Amino acid sequence: MQTIYKVISKTAAVAVLGVLFLSCEGHLEDLYDNPNAVTEIDDAALFTKAVRSLYQGTTDNGSSHFAGMYAHYYVAGSTWRAPDQYGDGHDQDYNSIMNEGYSGTIRHIEEVLELTSKPGTQNNVRYALANIIAVLGYAKITDGYGDVPYTEGGKGKSQDILLPKYDPQESIYKDLIMRLTNSIGTLKTADPAMAYPDSDPIYNNDLEKWVRFANSVRLRLAMRLRYVDAGLSRSTVSQCLSEPLMETPEHDAYMIETEGTGNAWFNRRTGFPSIKMSAFLINQMQVTNDPRLTVFVGQDSNGQFSGIVNGLTDQAFGNSNFANLSDMGLALSSPESKLYIMNAAETWLLRAEAALAYDEDPVQANILYRKGIEVSFNQWEVDATEITNFMGSTIANLSGINDEEQIGVQMWLALIPNFFEGWSHIRRTGYPVIPVRTSDDLSTGATNGIMPTRFMYSSFELGANSTNVQEAISRQGANKIDTKVWWDKN
Amino acid sequence: MNKLILILAIFGTTITVRSQKTISGQVLEKDTNTPLLGVSVLVKGTNTGTTTDFDGNYTLANLSGDDILQFSFIGYTSKEVALEDRNTINVFLEINAEEMDEVVVTALNIQRNKESLGYSISQVSAGEVNVARENNVMNSLSGKVSGLQITQSNTGVDGSSRVLLRGITTINGNNRPLVVVDGIPISNSSGGAGGSGGIDRGDDLSDINPDDVESISVLKGAGAAAAYGSLGMNGVILITTKSGTKKDGVGISFNSSFSFIDVALTPDFQNEYGAGAFGDFAPINADGRPVLDYPFSWSWGPRMEGQQYTNWLGKQESYSPNPTGNPYKEFYQTGFTISNSLAFEGKNDKGSFRLAITDEDGQGIVGNNTLAKQTFSLRGSSKLTDNFIVDGKMAYITSKVKNRPQLAEGSGNTALQLSLMPRDIRLEDVRNNTVNAFGEEIKWNLDNTFNNPYWALDNAGNVDEKDHFQGFISANWEIDDKFNITAKSGMDYIITDFISYGATGAQAVQNGLGAYNHDNDKSNIWNSDILGTYSTNISDINITLSLGANYRNEYSSYKNISGNDAKVPNFYRISNYKNSFSSEGISKKAIYSYYALGQFGYGGFLYFDATLRNDNSSALPQANNSYWYHSENMGLLFTKLLGINPNILSLGKLRGSFAKVGNDTSPYRTQAVYNVDQTVTLPYTVASISGSLPSFDLRPETSESWEIGADIGFLKNRITLDVTYYKTNTTDQIMAVPISGTTAYSSKVINAGEIENKGIEAQLNVIPFESENFSWDIGFNFTKSNSKVITLNEGLESISLGSLWTASVEARPGQEFGTIYGNDFLRDNFGRKIIGNDGLAKRGDRIALGNINPDWYGGFTNKIRYKNFSLSSLISVQAGGEYYSYGRGYRLFFGTDERSLVGRENGIIEEGINEFTGFENDNATSALLKQFTDIFSNQIATDIILDATNVKLREVALTFDFPKNILRETFIQSASLSAVGRNLLFLYNAAGDIDPEATYSSGPASTAFEHSSLPSTRSYGLNLKINF
Repeated sequence: MQTIYKVISKTAAVAVLGVLFLSCEGHLEDLYDNPNAVTEIDDAALFTKAVRSLYQGTTDNGSSHFAGMYAHYYVAGSTWRAPDQYGDGHDQDYNSIMNEGYSGTIRHIEEVLELTSKPGTQNNVRYALANIIAVLGYAKITDGYGDVPYTEGGKGKSQDILLPKYDPQESIYKDLIMRLTNSIGTLKTADPAMAYPDSDPIYNNDLEKWVRFANSVRLRLAMRLRYVDAGLSRSTVSQCLSEPLMETPEHDAYMIETEGTGNAWFNRRTGFPSIKMSAFLINQMQVTNDPRLTVFVGQDSNGQFSGIVNGLTDQAFGNSNFANLSDMGLALSSPESKLYIMNAAETWLLRAEAALAYDEDPVQANILYRKGIEVSFNQWEVDATEITNFMGSTIANLSGINDEEQIGVQMWLALIPNFFEGWSHIRRTGYPVIPVRTSDDLSTGATNGIMPTRFMYSSFELGANSTNVQEAISRQGANKIDTKVWWDKN
Repeated sequence: MNKLILILAIFGTTITVRSQKTISGQVLEKDTNTPLLGVSVLVKGTNTGTTTDFDGNYTLANLSGDDILQFSFIGYTSKEVALEDRNTINVFLEINAEEMDEVVVTALNIQRNKESLGYSISQVSAGEVNVARENNVMNSLSGKVSGLQITQSNTGVDGSSRVLLRGITTINGNNRPLVVVDGIPISNSSGGAGGSGGIDRGDDLSDINPDDVESISVLKGAGAAAAYGSLGMNGVILITTKSGTKKDGVGISFNSSFSFIDVALTPDFQNEYGAGAFGDFAPINADGRPVLDYPFSWSWGPRMEGQQYTNWLGKQESYSPNPTGNPYKEFYQTGFTISNSLAFEGKNDKGSFRLAITDEDGQGIVGNNTLAKQTFSLRGSSKLTDNFIVDGKMAYITSKVKNRPQLAEGSGNTALQLSLMPRDIRLEDVRNNTVNAFGEEIKWNLDNTFNNPYWALDNAGNVDEKDHFQGFISANWEIDDKFNITAKSGMDYIITDFISYGATGAQAVQNGLGAYNHDNDKSNIWNSDILGTYSTNISDINITLSLGANYRNEYSSYKNISGNDAKVPNFYRISNYKNSFSSEGISKKAIYSYYALGQFGYGGFLYFDATLRNDNSSALPQANNSYWYHSENMGLLFTKLLGINPNILSLGKLRGSFAKVGNDTSPYRTQAVYNVDQTVTLPYTVASISGSLPSFDLRPETSESWEIGADIGFLKNRITLDVTYYKTNTTDQIMAVPISGTTAYSSKVINAGEIENKGIEAQLNVIPFESENFSWDIGFNFTKSNSKVITLNEGLESISLGSLWTASVEARPGQEFGTIYGNDFLRDNFGRKIIGNDGLAKRGDRIALGNINPDWYGGFTNKIRYKNFSLSSLISVQAGGEYYSYGRGYRLFFGTDERSLVGRENGIIEEGINEFTGFENDNATSALLKQFTDIFSNQIATDIILDATNVKLREVALTFDFPKNILRETFIQSASLSAVGRNLLFLYNAAGDIDPEATYSSGPASTAFEHSSLPSTRSYGLNLKINF
């Protein structure tokens, strides 16, 4: 009898301990899962995030703190204007600009590309759309720095690549163009139901517009190669012209960002650091009686349009009456202002340049040039009579003498408020001509007064991915802000 | 293996034959006749013995008339009595304050004789923390314990403190020791702001009421703390609170303190040059006010000589030096702390209780920064049966701190504003001109960072409320005199409610729209332990074996609502904001553990301890979530072994300890997830991926540490020396390594890297004089602790542990942990600066410019007692170590610092070599351009890396104990009055006008940075203690 009790009690003890152990193990498993997030999601939500990041990127540090001032659109107040003095003491900014580029658009679009090409969630249409967004994301990064990680870039999660190698800008550009070509091919015949019916902030799932958009982006990239690979540039342009392009403001790729206290331009008009429009820009528009002046530029405290000179020394800046100068115009800097990644006006002007460069057809170029100006006016809802007046002026026609410059200047204006593209455009074409700073009132910074042509690789990146970034530097040239990226020959 | 041989050798002892005799008796406290429970009764020369029961009774059998009984008890003078022919021996033991140090509280609250320990432990008594009282009890330990480094940040009342035991062992962890109150581990996270601003919401250690503290044990190494598992990896601070067991009958004690807090150290300001730039006044704007942008809103104008000028408000005024040379002295006030504590305690043969209430009120040097805190605690134990005792405690702490000051680069940091405002501005004008006719803040500089300090004082603020519950219940079942089971369950539950707000009208507050933020946080740590202990003596070997299990559950959650764009002014509720946002999150983690402890004592001179523990954590992947560790400690009293004459060498002990400890991580780092974003911009679902890449196969990190040491006492322990050398290697560290942003992620959680932490600690106590009326007690403690980064992840050159402006504190392989990096000047091969034709130095490479770790630090204590007076003082020393002061950098290029007077009139010719000619530079540059270019434009850190060496008079207390003969006629049993002062002054401070402790946060690398800290303070006041 006693042995039976012993057996029973031992069994019971073992059972109790066993149950205890198992329940503990189960308990640990229950707590393992993160209750604040989900482990699976429709890639549509990530696509939307990536697209939104692309728009937010038009006001990011690289665009608003650097490119907008480099390209002489405006000058920020106080010490925020430091990049306008062409210095290179911006190590943290160089790091954050690169991080912003990859962490917003790239991080999420790489995940979409991964999901839409994986068995089970594969979707060609979505994959094609995602590629367009990825192209725009990478193009901006390489335009800012030159060689950057591309084939291995953005793959920290999908492929566990923590030390990505840098790719030459040339090979990046060629691949970007190819990706767009593939996407256009897919989307032309795609079923919209397979795309993003409820998650497309750009065109609300209108694939016809997406084709125009992708093709226009391809045209932009093709023209970027004009001075370094004319052959590829030319053949890509002719391919672009054989497919539909963005033609009217209805085709424009824009988004309105109202989160928080409104978009960045609104905040910088109403708060700190206040932005005052560039004297260079105002002067250009006043000389030509450009009706977009009142769109882009606000009136100063005297009801006039007065701009700030770019690049002033600290002493001269103090005497510039900065606080009373013209703000950014309300159309650009209201909470509901649109943020653009590409517009139809740019497409027309790219075509005008292509007509001149590749078809040597100044007549066609002039038609396209005028179309570009007109579409830009339409985009900003300029009054019809003002359009007529301007279109009748000499500036609205290519003179045959400095056509390239005329197109270049109009492109610079049409790109507003996509200031980052404006800077890339000036670097590529040399128009408008940004004068080299020689006056005593102007800072010459680290570039002898010449507009900076790239961002530096940050010291963090030099430490974190040393071998690869050093390889890029040895290939591309010194890690300085006046080293030119591959496509920059002007 | 060697240890095993030694143990086997010890078994080889002879057994003597004894005649049979049984002895019984009672042990009582002398003077009070209170029966003493738990007195050890030992037959001298053997390990035969027993302990007294609840009534002080004991019985021992099998004795002979030749035996001598030794009676010993914590805090009492031991007594030896020869048996002779008696059968009953009653003994009175006398209280001995000096004996107190001999018995210490060790891991799992096991009280042990310090002699028997194989590791270093320091114990601090109640008097050291509740006379010169601090809101945060940890601050009172500063300088008193070797190996313990406390840095009290300058962040307003109830700010947090950096607490490190034996330096830094992990890269990512907070490196703070575990704090255990009455056996229950409590929450111990660091607090503080970031370099870009914020506030310090304090740490939870400030809720430990100094008046309730009975003693504090500091278990320094992993060997001492291994019983706590991974939680004890950074050492343990064990706090035992008062339990009412020391009082007989009903006793009441009252403790009251009052102290003033005032500004002790401020930056050196120049008072000769006011607003303007390049020696000129600023141009006047259309609104009649001068240009308020840089550099004209800095103090680089003409010399102030009483000339007429347009002041910052646009008024004509005489341009003259400030009558008070120091804006800090004008702005900050004298604060105070008042604390009253009342405790009722009692004890009888069935149990004990203690009920205590403490009320603390304080006001900081910023007038609206106040603290109100109440602590209620109830502790009781009851003896249900002869061998079953239940014990429990409940403490409730409620505190309300108003207007914790903004710090560092925060737009509301008053010190930043005061230190940079042009020197001609009168604070009175600033106070009287905070808002213009449009309701907008009147600023002296249009930058968002630089604001009117009085606007912030009037229009922005915060309220931080905390309800904190701590409690436990425990039961102790003494099954027989050898076997004992204790079960304990306790929790540390904290609810905080934090509101911060800013009125409309200030650009810095959401572009003038006004802002509101409300956080609600809960955290709970719940610990349950069961521990069975079996003690026995086999021959001369004393054995105690314990088996235990622990379950720990950590829970925290937060809810946040915030809004901007106020509808109605000065109304701070979420409904009043046009835009509102919300977020929430919860975090849960559980660890269950099993452990075994063994203690072996042989012959009163050799002691060996071992611990084995297994932890299972929910934060790690299932495959790796169970991990083991162990520790072995040995102590050898060689004086007893060798029979050395105790009159000369009274104590001689060698000790050694080895421990291997594992550690898990915070939850949810091993899973890839998508966050669902809140957005009003888009009507679609938006999801995002966090920037930190998870690791799917994370393993526990491992630290192996050993220490050796000696405790030596001379001349009846009038001179005691305690020396320890330790070394800890932590490998497989779990860390979020920063990775190249080009991966699209910012960090990845991995196991990598190794840190080696080693050091020497020493504590020397000398009693030069000791007599009934006069005694003098001197203590020195010394710590040298170095942490070296052996490896990081492959390919990774550095991990940033924090940064301010462009200086960063980093971990790099082969270098000391916490090396400060920043840009140096460009130099030639001889180290000379390269100077441009403009006379300005050039920026060079980023190099190591300093290190946060002191060469050594320590304390020097003095206690002198003459009759009823006693005077104690503490001087703390830090030798070496550096920090980066962006506060000074700012003051230099804003031209407010006294040092900016150099070269004002004639410019500065920078020492160096012309970059083109190679000759000595002879081009002058303006002082403004030099400072601005070096510090701001070129971000050169070299000149603002400061030496942290300092000697501080940290504590002085003069106490008068009222003589017993005066009190005899009253109902007062004892009373004392103390005059106390804390942080009184620097006896030496290498940096001169900046307190090296003036950090803005309390993380492990926080001492690397100073940024426009609040002035450091000293306090002085009175403390009254009465026992009824």
